[in-house]
Amino acid sequence: MKKKLFAVCTLLFSCTLLLAQEVQYEEYDLDNGLHVILHKDNSAPVVTTSVMYHVGGKDRTEGRTGFAHLFEHLLFEGTKNIEKGKWFEIVSSNGGTNNANTTQDRTYYYEVFPSNNLELGLWLESERMLHPVINQDGVDTQIEVVKEEKRLRYDNSPYGQLLPVLGENLFEKHPYKDPNIGYMKDLEAATLEDVKAYNEKYYVPNNAVLVVAGDIDIAKTKGLVQDYFGPIPKGADVSRNYPKETPITTERRVQFYDPNIQIPAAGLAYRTPGFKERDAYVLDMISTYLSDGPTSKLYKKMVDDQKQALQVGAFNIPQEDYSMYFVFALPVGETPLDTLISEMEEEIAKVRTVPISERDYQKLQNKFENQYVNSNSSVEGIANSLARNYMLYGDTELINKEIEIYRSVTRDEIMEVASKYLKPNQRVIIDYLPEEKPSN
Amino acid sequence: MKKLYTLLFSILVATATQAQVDRSTMPKPGPAPEINLEEPQSFSLNNGLKVMVVENHKLPTVSIQLTIDNPPILEGDKAGVSSLTGSLMGQGSKNIPKDEFNEEVDFLGARISFGAQSAFASSLSKYFPRMMELMADAAINPNFTQEEFDKEKDILITALKAEEKDVSAISGRVQRALAYGKDHPYGEFTTIETVNNIKLEDVKTFYRDYFVPANAYLVVVGDVNFDEVKELTEKYFTSWTKAVPPSFTYSKPKDVYNTQISFVDMPNAVQSEITVQNIVNLKMKDPDYLPALLANQILGGGGEARLFLNLREDKGYTYGSYSAIGDDKYEPSRFRATVSVRNAVTDSSVVEILKEIDRIITEPVSEKELKNTKAKYAGRFVMALEQPQTIANYALNIEKEGLPKDFYKTYLERLEKITVEDVQKAAQKYFSSSNARVVVTGKGSEVLENLEKVEFKGKTLPVLFYSKTAERTEKPDYNAASPEGLTAETVIENYLKAIGGKETLESVYSYSMTAEAEMQGMKLNLELKKTSKDQFMQDIQMMGNSLSKQVLDGDTGYMVAQGQRKDFSEEEITKIKEESAPFPELNYLAAGGLTLEGTDMVGDTKAYKVKVTDNKTVFYDTETGLKLQEVNVIDMQGQTMQQTMMLEDYREVSGILFPYKLIQSMGPQNIEFIVSEIKVNEGVTPADFE
Repeated sequence: MKKKLFAVCTLLFSCTLLLAQEVQYEEYDLDNGLHVILHKDNSAPVVTTSVMYHVGGKDRTEGRTGFAHLFEHLLFEGTKNIEKGKWFEIVSSNGGTNNANTTQDRTYYYEVFPSNNLELGLWLESERMLHPVINQDGVDTQIEVVKEEKRLRYDNSPYGQLLPVLGENLFEKHPYKDPNIGYMKDLEAATLEDVKAYNEKYYVPNNAVLVVAGDIDIAKTKGLVQDYFGPIPKGADVSRNYPKETPITTERRVQFYDPNIQIPAAGLAYRTPGFKERDAYVLDMISTYLSDGPTSKLYKKMVDDQKQALQVGAFNIPQEDYSMYFVFALPVGETPLDTLISEMEEEIAKVRTVPISERDYQKLQNKFENQYVNSNSSVEGIANSLARNYMLYGDTELINKEIEIYRSVTRDEIMEVASKYLKPNQRVIIDYLPEEKPSN
Repeated sequence: MKKLYTLLFSILVATATQAQVDRSTMPKPGPAPEINLEEPQSFSLNNGLKVMVVENHKLPTVSIQLTIDNPPILEGDKAGVSSLTGSLMGQGSKNIPKDEFNEEVDFLGARISFGAQSAFASSLSKYFPRMMELMADAAINPNFTQEEFDKEKDILITALKAEEKDVSAISGRVQRALAYGKDHPYGEFTTIETVNNIKLEDVKTFYRDYFVPANAYLVVVGDVNFDEVKELTEKYFTSWTKAVPPSFTYSKPKDVYNTQISFVDMPNAVQSEITVQNIVNLKMKDPDYLPALLANQILGGGGEARLFLNLREDKGYTYGSYSAIGDDKYEPSRFRATVSVRNAVTDSSVVEILKEIDRIITEPVSEKELKNTKAKYAGRFVMALEQPQTIANYALNIEKEGLPKDFYKTYLERLEKITVEDVQKAAQKYFSSSNARVVVTGKGSEVLENLEKVEFKGKTLPVLFYSKTAERTEKPDYNAASPEGLTAETVIENYLKAIGGKETLESVYSYSMTAEAEMQGMKLNLELKKTSKDQFMQDIQMMGNSLSKQVLDGDTGYMVAQGQRKDFSEEEITKIKEESAPFPELNYLAAGGLTLEGTDMVGDTKAYKVKVTDNKTVFYDTETGLKLQEVNVIDMQGQTMQQTMMLEDYREVSGILFPYKLIQSMGPQNIEFIVSEIKVNEGVTPADFE
């Protein structure tokens, strides 16, 4: 257990503030390589057990996309000791909730229970890691469910195709070019052998982190973790070597038609560095500067004053190898998309060429401080941050010191980063347009 | 050496404890965790404002919530006034202009928002005093300006327009109107007409009448101390003038005598919205409140509930089907079971929902269902305690709903005691399969025939028809619309007759047309010329520059778009020829292959739908015979797109009726051409087609 010292304290006030909310935790490895993080908070009788696997949409071979997301479903099918279809009933009839989600980079499974069911949570997750039942029947069922999910979330949902459209247009070689949910033909072509091999490769203790957070007794929890996870055999080391992209140097413009929308969207997309890079933090600040809150630059100008846009947004889609940066606007009435594009570019150009004002800089710092404080408001959220910081950012302690990175970014640096990544010749313009549905 | 020792130790530990773990059976829960239900501290101001404070110093944040618990308000012919009041609140105050107000809140990294009878703010606790001041100022001294009023009114009207085609929005308002009647606060709805009745003065009056402290609660949760909250509240909220809102009584809504279907026809619906509803008199303080919640949970509370398992998992009719039961201390609420389904299974879904409601009324639920549902509720209750707001909400409910002080302390105990009989009794009292209103909103031409055959408990359910504004109407008359023996050819002949007669039309050897449109602030000019000898020219110009030009002269032709000239292929020429004739309908008859596909609505007009080719469908008014709309499916850079042309404002030129308004829509574009001139048999020379 590390002792944390805050060497740099410019203001006494901010020091006490930080100490008041420091997240305490303990971390260690089991012999099979499983990394364990324990966080104790007895203020409410609730416990979260979660496992993050370092496997996501990008971990696939050509022609076998969408495997990680399919697995998110498959690994609820049942285990040697949990009958098929009983998982959700076990959780809900014990007063808990559970869920899972998959990004291009990782998969996260978790349960939240009243704290007297800690052992149940550990049993469920260890069963999933040790011996999930993977058979043809389950694969067939879950492929159908994934297809329904695709219809609901992407094909049938307003603006649902946005992320796949961004990926497709910002990447040529890197697996990020393909949708996280995969191509349905790839899933259909998957054999049971493919699926089993994928499980053996990625869903192993040495490619995972377990977090237990909430109303726990540390010593007792360590014992239980060892009991349930200790016997799981270690897997082979996982290595990744995905192709590098060549930088985008000429602007492109693409159209995409979505039958589920009435109002088009104009978007500017950029390829930006992976989330571990310092520049990614700076880009986060630029997003906030541009579109967070009623006095942010784009909102104030385009929505409030000029009434050209119903909505504007700038956001960073954080990913491990490269992130995607997206600025968009939805027009009011007949405002041409080209007008929205030039209005957005005008504000981005200012960030590239002039340092933001002192007052705006202070506003950004205040917003990030507020965001940072609130990010640790639920035990469930803390568990997720601990797992993510360890596995993807390589530093668990970021949970307490991430704010320092934002604090250290200067006004000049904001300008430098904007002109490094957000130039017009680096962008892809996306016209996201409604497709008329047949009226009958 | 040390490493070896650690390894050895951990193996020992592992084996020692492993003996105690039998992973083949599910671990048993430990003893129930102790629940610590704190009580908030509270006080009142003389103007009636009640304040509750939950101190929680875990994080340096605070939230401030103002709730005004007034009885429901009937807005009548000014429905929408409360919504407008809500949008205008928090736009600064009489003391701070809007921009400065927003700038300050944003600068502090804080959030603040207002409703017509509520307000909410959150920030770091170090800014708490200023946030209290800002909230109080904006709440007590709102700045209602004509400019902001006009802006918010426009936004509201745009939203209402968008709603007119929204099947679920229409379904929702008809359900409420039918359950309560339109003269009840819960049954009335906002329309463009009622919004247009609202003046800025009405917003001010609404605010004056209802934004008053008599029924107001201020709840402060977070890293604050009680004395400070008290001091600040007294400082900033004492000037809020004491007043009691006007109160009215409303007629009590009643259920129907027999279960019946209320049908709303929406020709654009691709899914039917089905709601089975009945009136419920349930308050939180009623002794059977918890059993009623459990009954609803078992019937339709989620993915493990009966409606979901039947309609989704078993039948595959839908993505989800749920039920909900409301409670309300002022007025009756509703029980509703809902589903959205594809048109083809509308009738079957009605039957399945009614069956499930009937089953939970007539048969006891299983012990297992009850046990699992209790556990789910207990878990939810315990886990909610993680949020400090929960404590505040509980205290607020006790106050507002007049609950016993120990309502939440005894919650788990009361939950545990609920029996299968209690659940059935609650289901019998609060759910109805024999006096239910089944509101179906969908495409009548596809679902009505089977819906009228729906039988439940041996009886065919009556079907009553309602408009989109919940008025009783006639059954949509789909059959009379397509009289026996009517063919596509007759429809075309009627059209030709209506616009001038075959003979007159055949005497036309050329015509020219000019029209204007505005697109994104720019003026577009359209020039169109046609002859009966396969000659066609269409030129669209913007500010004197040609955007696109198409020319056909017999068997050759070309197009120029953005300065690029391209000759037409043979295939394209054949296609253009079909359309290039002055009156293509004359050719349709000769070409044959037409199909009458029944009737459909074009806007509010009933029309015959004639399929000309796979890619072209034309709609003709059933009454006047005139052409109302053409729908073309075109291929554009590999994308199949649908292009619609609406024809309106027919006027006579040389004995022939021509549409003077042409609205073309494709994708997001909607271009409205207004014809400025049409010339028949003049103004066209062979040079036009070079």
